[in-house]
Amino acid sequence: MKFVILYGTESGNAETVADDLVDELSADNEVESIDMTDAELDTLTPDAFFLVVCSTHGDGGLPASAVPFAELLDAERPDLTGIRYAMFGLGDSSYETYSRGSERIDERLAALGAIRVGEYGRHDASDGSLPNDTALEWARDLVSTLDDVAAVA
Amino acid sequence: MNEPAAPKPAPRIAIVGAGPAGCYTAQFLRKRWSLADIVIYDRHDAPYGLIRYGVAPDHLGTKAIAKQFDRLFARDGVTFVGATDIGTDLTLDQLQADFDVVVLATGLWADRMIDTFHSAATTAVGAAPVAAAPLAGVYGAGRLTRLINGHPAESVQGLHIGRRTVIVGNGNVAVDLVRLMLTPAEVLVSHGVPNEVAAALTAGPLEHMDVVGRSPVYAAKFDLAMIRELGKLDDVRFTSDSPGDDVDENDETAAQAAGTDAPADGTAKADAIRELVEGSSPTATRTVAFHFGWTPDRVFASDAGEVGDAGEAGEARVSRVTFTATPGAGQRDATLELSTDSVCTAVGFTETEGALLRRDAIASPTADLERGLLADGLYCVGWFRRGPVGTIPANRADARTVADAIIHDVEAAAAVLEAAVTST
Repeated sequence: MKFVILYGTESGNAETVADDLVDELSADNEVESIDMTDAELDTLTPDAFFLVVCSTHGDGGLPASAVPFAELLDAERPDLTGIRYAMFGLGDSSYETYSRGSERIDERLAALGAIRVGEYGRHDASDGSLPNDTALEWARDLVSTLDDVAAVA
Repeated sequence: MNEPAAPKPAPRIAIVGAGPAGCYTAQFLRKRWSLADIVIYDRHDAPYGLIRYGVAPDHLGTKAIAKQFDRLFARDGVTFVGATDIGTDLTLDQLQADFDVVVLATGLWADRMIDTFHSAATTAVGAAPVAAAPLAGVYGAGRLTRLINGHPAESVQGLHIGRRTVIVGNGNVAVDLVRLMLTPAEVLVSHGVPNEVAAALTAGPLEHMDVVGRSPVYAAKFDLAMIRELGKLDDVRFTSDSPGDDVDENDETAAQAAGTDAPADGTAKADAIRELVEGSSPTATRTVAFHFGWTPDRVFASDAGEVGDAGEAGEARVSRVTFTATPGAGQRDATLELSTDSVCTAVGFTETEGALLRRDAIASPTADLERGLLADGLYCVGWFRRGPVGTIPANRADARTVADAIIHDVEAAAAVLEAAVTST
């Protein structure tokens, strides 16, 4: 299976999550990780499954590296029918806008026709832990679900 | 034609300063060069600089960035050399002789002073303030945040926050102080604040704080999330002297002059303060008064003979501070006078007096600060490069810029060398 990990980061945590997901998945799959800043419309192809990892900045805003991607989607409004993705959001639940940055990307992808699959993964930094282990667990569960789906199909 | 690709360069790299700018730079360089020797020096025993000693201990999400950096040393083969001061233990020349690339990331951590606030002024009317020893009861925020974070070189000796304090500044560091000073001692201790520091901060206990900023509320430097967080404090009533509901034209102009992206952002700041004020309990026993548009004027000391139990015998202690209306900030009154027993200034950071590494002294005529280049093989990053502006993420972006410049320069030099070898 081909995975593309799209990450939006502000302080680098989402990027290290993406790095770990590459390590985890690359044993059995073709995996590529792309900073949302560098993502182009050609990146969004139905032959890949997208793992979107995105943090939240300030008052529920997008992290810096996700802003160009959001602007690209808003400006070009591509038809994303046939695209499947899963979301993992990073945030801090001591703020009301917990994980809101990832939701801003999720809303855009869904509005353009892409289909979100599996559990919406989230990590809460309010306990001081790193998101990496939570994200790996989420990805393992997700991939097993995808295998089930493939087996049925 | 069928020769294998040349191995990537593996330069020897020294980074001076293990704060966020230095660690992010190491991350980006490691991503490009898996084989390079990368050594990060720090004058402290432990790495992470501002994240360890400057970030408030209750901001666990930000503190966790240090865990991301742990991977550099635990997994990515970057070496940490602590307790080594570049300039005394090792000279910069020695470092440059031993490494292909040296990156200075020592930050700027000394408190910026307000001349008339940090020295004892005479109380005589009309007399010019006299620069003298620091007045007891006036503290820089950098010292306080280092104390709160257990910095090994700071001592709680002489710290006394009483019942009324004045915080000068309206950036995030000022808001950190407001929040931490109103947090119960046992909660501070649970976040790792040393017992004696928690005790000193809450000894008063504080009944009233004045938070005074130079800018109008629309141009205040704090982040919205920081203000919203204050709403969770127990038993505090907030007030504000900023004008009511709509963005006043003068304020808007002042905000734009101050360089913020007002009015949209500025309106949100005014709204956040108003919501904080309206949402706070009118019967709370502690009050925090925000004052916007006031420029620091002077501090006044109590007479040495009047010193209470907090001061040492004969020690002049702050008793009163005055501010003048910032031009164009829309204040009606000309002066603001506040009585207080302590003053905390959170007005930014600057170069340490007598710093061993000073950017301007090191930069060569061929320096290109836009790329972080100081001299051949010598670079700078973070606040040491740009000055004391911008948050941790801004320094990540900065590190990427400088790492890209280093990668470009090293690989260009390697390509030149290879071309010379091939043509012979």
